[in-house]
Amino acid sequence: MGAKCPIEVNNLKVSYKKEEILKDMNLTIPEKGITVILGPSGCGKSTLLKCFNRIIELEEDVKVEGEIFVDKEDILHPKTDLIALRKKMGLLLQKPQVLPMSIYDNVAFGAKLHKKMKKNELDELVERELKKVNLWDEVKERLNSSAQSLSIGQQQRLCLARGLAVEPEIILGDEPTSALDPLSAEIIEKLFLSLKENYTIILVTHILRQAKRLADYVAFIYLGEVVECGKKEEFFNNPKDERTKRYLSGIIAG
Amino acid sequence: MKKIEESIFKFLMVSSLVLLIMALLSITIAVFVKGYNALSLKMIFTTPKGGYYLGKEGGILNAILGSIIIALSATILSFIYSFFIVFYINVYRYSKSNFSKSVRFLLDLLWGIPSIVYGAFGFAIMLIFKIPASMIAGIITLSFVILPIMARTMDETLRMIPFELKQVGFSLGATRLEISYKIMLRQSLPGILTAILLSFGRGLGDAASVLMTCSFSDSLPTSLLKPVATLPLSVFFQLSTPFKEVQERGYASAFVLTFLMLFVSLIARLCTKSLSKNVVK
Repeated sequence: MGAKCPIEVNNLKVSYKKEEILKDMNLTIPEKGITVILGPSGCGKSTLLKCFNRIIELEEDVKVEGEIFVDKEDILHPKTDLIALRKKMGLLLQKPQVLPMSIYDNVAFGAKLHKKMKKNELDELVERELKKVNLWDEVKERLNSSAQSLSIGQQQRLCLARGLAVEPEIILGDEPTSALDPLSAEIIEKLFLSLKENYTIILVTHILRQAKRLADYVAFIYLGEVVECGKKEEFFNNPKDERTKRYLSGIIAG
Repeated sequence: MKKIEESIFKFLMVSSLVLLIMALLSITIAVFVKGYNALSLKMIFTTPKGGYYLGKEGGILNAILGSIIIALSATILSFIYSFFIVFYINVYRYSKSNFSKSVRFLLDLLWGIPSIVYGAFGFAIMLIFKIPASMIAGIITLSFVILPIMARTMDETLRMIPFELKQVGFSLGATRLEISYKIMLRQSLPGILTAILLSFGRGLGDAASVLMTCSFSDSLPTSLLKPVATLPLSVFFQLSTPFKEVQERGYASAFVLTFLMLFVSLIARLCTKSLSKNVVK
């Protein structure tokens, strides 16, 4: 598992109602490990993330230009099989969004879309994925109760399990801990660290400390441009661009 | 000063509420009291015999059954159209797009058209194709009367669904159709039930559209192609006779109609509770 090649973003431009959000972006995201996309609010981080599984097109009046290569294929090409693409990428939103069904059905939902499965296969899958996110022990007694009944931290883990059940290669996280309490956030962070051996993880955040804790690679985005990217140590210890230095020292506020 | 303002508005709110409850109670009680003498099981379970409207034997089973069948069929029919319209404008098109807004505007216009106009229109079409007054004509006409109510009420609940829920569906690789019936439908079930209930209620009580399209009949509804009786018309015919006892029957029939509505609402409320179990807030 995990993308076999780095993800390449070439000359990506995104505009929303003629307002440019991403301006000519170039970026390489290495396979495996966690790449943190760092930047202040409103810099276009989430927009970039939503281009990877082309969820961005669900919004009206959005224009996307450029190329994004995943496994050597340009996924922005009009002929891309969107379902296959989205199956390859699991997305975790800022605020956990459970589906209006039971805990069990939430985990099984995505997997059932792509493959016909027998009851016992589904049971196995649900148990396996819930164990991956350390939620099994907390919910195994009430798999049939509404997902809404879980705490918000549990809901976010459930969403992660739901994404993993589709067997993605890449995990996209759009500030997945920002709506959570510190303890739940820590659990999610640990999960990301345990998953990075097997998945390419792209994590959007504006929290510097979180980037320091999780990142293998960092890309700093400011006003729709990639300012600087590189390995974590290099990025934090020896930033080259003036804007990066200012962000790291807290002058550009998140 | 602010305190006076607050108490004036509070008074207005409470008195409007009292007015509402009074209206509901007084209608029900008046109808019940006036029709009490005629109210019997026999009235509910028999059809009008010869000379019923002159005060002779019989009941209104024909109208009760006719109304239920017509309103139910029209509700099912208009639910089918509404389902496709509403999911198209909310899932296949952007909910906030100009296209979807125009469809909503169109439905609002249709909502405003009085049902007698639908009846007249249905009647005109029946004349062209030489279709006699029949149950099927009534069902189809009534389904268009309640279509805007059904579609707009369903649309409002679908519009409230958070955009993120659709995003989740797409990001798991679901198609628009799968998102429609596996996610959006489940999330909006309580709202859809309300839509069905409102439409059914309107259908049960509507007199004008069935007056022109399915006429009236003293026998039980047996064929889609024959005229059929409905409760509102039955109430009208009985109340417009000069005989006191027939008028009493009219009020009793009106009470049956009111009771029927109350009963359906209660059942629906009970269902809503279990349907909202999984709904994401």
